[in-house]
Amino acid sequence: MIGDEGAAGQAAYAAALSGLPGMGPATLVAVLGRWEPRRAWERVRAGRLQRPPRGQGLDFESRQTRQTPLDGAFDSGSIRCSGRTWAELSRGFDPETWWAPIAGRGIGVTWPGLATYPVALADDPHPPGVLFWRGALECLDRPCVAIVGTRRATPDGRSVAFELGRDLAGSGICVVSGLALGIDGAAHLGSLRAVDQPGAVGPVGVAASGVDVVYPRRHAGLWEQVVAAGAVVSETPPGRPAQAWRFPARNRVIAGLVRMVVVVESHAAGGSLITVEAALERGVEVRVVPGPVHSPASAGTNQLLYDGPGPVRSARDVLDALGMFLPDSKAHHARAQVGVEDEASLVPVLSSAAKAVLAAVEWRPSSLNHIVDRSATSVGTALRALDELEATGWVASERGWWVRRR
Amino acid sequence: MLATVASSTLVGVEGTPISVEVHVSRGLPSFTIVGLPDASCRESRDRVRAAIISSGFKWPQQRVTVNLAPSSVRKAGAGLDLPIAMAVLAADSQIPESAVAGMGFLGELGLDGSVRKVPGVLPLVHAMRAGTVVVPPSCVPEAELVRGADVRSAAGLRGLVSVLRGESGWAARPPSPPPEPSVAGPDLADVKGQPLARLAVEVAAAGGHHLLLVGPPGAGKTMLAERLPGLLPPLGTDEALEVARIHSAAGLALPAGVLVRRPPFRAPHHSASLVSLIGGGGPQMRPGELSCAHRGVLFMDELGEFPADVLDTLRQPIEEGRVLVCRARASVVFPARVLLVGAMNPCPCGMESGSGSCRCRESARARYAARVSGPLLDRFDLRVMVDRPDVGELIGGAKADSAGAESTTTVAARVQAARHLAHGRSVTCNAELAGPSLDRVAPIHPLASRLLEVRLRQGRLSARGLHRVRRVARTLADLDGRAGPVTVDDVYGALALRADVFAAEEMVL
Repeated sequence: MIGDEGAAGQAAYAAALSGLPGMGPATLVAVLGRWEPRRAWERVRAGRLQRPPRGQGLDFESRQTRQTPLDGAFDSGSIRCSGRTWAELSRGFDPETWWAPIAGRGIGVTWPGLATYPVALADDPHPPGVLFWRGALECLDRPCVAIVGTRRATPDGRSVAFELGRDLAGSGICVVSGLALGIDGAAHLGSLRAVDQPGAVGPVGVAASGVDVVYPRRHAGLWEQVVAAGAVVSETPPGRPAQAWRFPARNRVIAGLVRMVVVVESHAAGGSLITVEAALERGVEVRVVPGPVHSPASAGTNQLLYDGPGPVRSARDVLDALGMFLPDSKAHHARAQVGVEDEASLVPVLSSAAKAVLAAVEWRPSSLNHIVDRSATSVGTALRALDELEATGWVASERGWWVRRR
Repeated sequence: MLATVASSTLVGVEGTPISVEVHVSRGLPSFTIVGLPDASCRESRDRVRAAIISSGFKWPQQRVTVNLAPSSVRKAGAGLDLPIAMAVLAADSQIPESAVAGMGFLGELGLDGSVRKVPGVLPLVHAMRAGTVVVPPSCVPEAELVRGADVRSAAGLRGLVSVLRGESGWAARPPSPPPEPSVAGPDLADVKGQPLARLAVEVAAAGGHHLLLVGPPGAGKTMLAERLPGLLPPLGTDEALEVARIHSAAGLALPAGVLVRRPPFRAPHHSASLVSLIGGGGPQMRPGELSCAHRGVLFMDELGEFPADVLDTLRQPIEEGRVLVCRARASVVFPARVLLVGAMNPCPCGMESGSGSCRCRESARARYAARVSGPLLDRFDLRVMVDRPDVGELIGGAKADSAGAESTTTVAARVQAARHLAHGRSVTCNAELAGPSLDRVAPIHPLASRLLEVRLRQGRLSARGLHRVRRVARTLADLDGRAGPVTVDDVYGALALRADVFAAEEMVL
């Protein structure tokens, strides 16, 4: 066990070790469990610590051979480098000069045995050898829940993910997700919405690329906001783009970090099912948001629901399952009650046009065309009523589709 | 000997008077045409010579020079065959020169001396400075549309010469073919459901607002667009003549006997080239589809499949109602006051609906939406989503339809009334209202103006969008028969008809 003061000097070496080609998580864990990083690096340079033969090693290691070495610090051609030994690669490379500017950009690194290393990962069957981070890693000390789902989400799925993210973050839960398009992004956006509330916890995004390599590019703004409010973490060394194998590996990190995985929407063979598998392997509870039976975007989640994991309707269900009755959750409780109360008692506050229009909005997304048709009002009146209903929270709109909220 | 005969040639949609001068003099037998003839016109030499000989006349075995004046104008097409032949015969004194004085001729010659029809007779006759005009028989109805023209026809060179020699009289005017029965266009009552799209079509017709229909395949976008011309008010005489001139110049078949008053409907395929759409090409500068749809509807189905450069050239013409096509030799103004109707799918797979059936990636959707540039998208005052009708509406709705769906006649009457209100503001339709005059002619209710203010502050409406929404709101009020200020509901209606059809995934907090 190394003290955190000593870790500062070791960080560069740990980071450099993680960038060696063929250095998978299991090897890295084994190496860092035996030597402290600087010593391990010296052994590499001396040729006393060699690259394990291909095809050996655990899990994600074997598929790692095409990885480029250390940011092309030695050579840019990855294919030529892949044949070179670690000793050759490490010669003439100074991890400290390489690491200093990266650390200067606010990127940190932790590995098993350090106090900063997330507790949840300490006894993980396949823990990350190192974890790079930007932001505040302390968020992970709070109870963590993952919200995952498809990148091709429906408006309804996105709004469920958004609300779950917002309400869980507001109830003191750290929302963990993968920063991808669709559900992941919506969950992060939701949790960012809550950060100003007292007791709220910032979100943590687990990236497949380096923590400074935004992927997908459209989420550049989201990354910075997640870093500012919580943290972005990754196993991948800074500056490296994500390779295909990094995504399932990233999913196992998500599953390892959290106490519960909530799947919002997933296609029949979606990537979020990999997270579910990893979670079940670790004994992490999985919960599923039910979706319409005809919706392809809910095929995977509904199958899960059939197979066993229980349903989640709102943040309250998640908190209940975690045994957390936070005072904040009363608000959600109260709102859930409104939904089941007799609608008739609430409807009178609406204008008659709004009532007619509300009756025409369905629980699944409806087009304006459909609403005008069913409510038999003029287009202008209908949109005016919808505007009114949206402002009072009866309906929500996305991409021109309207959906009933309560 | 020298003879001069009047004719005309086509540049763009306008005729240009041409004076055909032929000089026959002593010298080695030769036949030259000068005065900027293009390739098709230079071929006249062979046709004229063969036609004169096979009609039984003598080809002058002398030096024959044809000059087409003014020589600065490029002459194209075969329409000058007949005038050249007549001038040659007059110069060779085979017909008295006095007989052709003050007469104009138009027509292509066959090798046997028959006179064949040429495109653009209407503008050509209009331009000709001659008392009597001789045209091919099949062009007579078209030529007679020109007011004050004394139109004669000639089926062949031999017959024409005998008339001019005074040996026989003019052929009786060929019996005009019975006017084609005016086919009633498709009826709006056929459209089931789709209240939003129906309204959009009605507003487009009443206010002259460009319309973009977005919806999955089979939703009825084409069906709606085809019903739009039927809603437009019939063309006035001057407008109809203007349209007929363009169609004549473009070589489109004009219906016999009558001036068509129904607004044209043109639907070019998305493989259309830039020149075919805008006009130009060759010295003749043929009008493009854009001009052929003048005073009518230009329907561009699968808008996203048109090449991007073709789409963007439309931006300025549809705003100005005319297009100035410039080439090295000539610049021509083509009229292009069209109602542009675009139709496209919401995404590459076309299945976008709220139930998650779209199989497209977000990036693919964004790329598809980007095919229509922002500035062009902005020109569409009306942008509506058309969804597939419910199964119930398609099959079981017989009773509901007959009562519910309004017919073209009903809606056209409302459109006519709304246009009448627009005339009172000294424009033909509300889309032409100038921005500064909006406050005066389209005052808005204080509540409505607050709504617009909120939308502007929220960034959901741009300054340009504001004016467009106000014009559409004005049209909605007009259709309702209200001349007073625009109400909140009108503004909401206009906003509903200006949907953000390619909204991306919400990413802003």
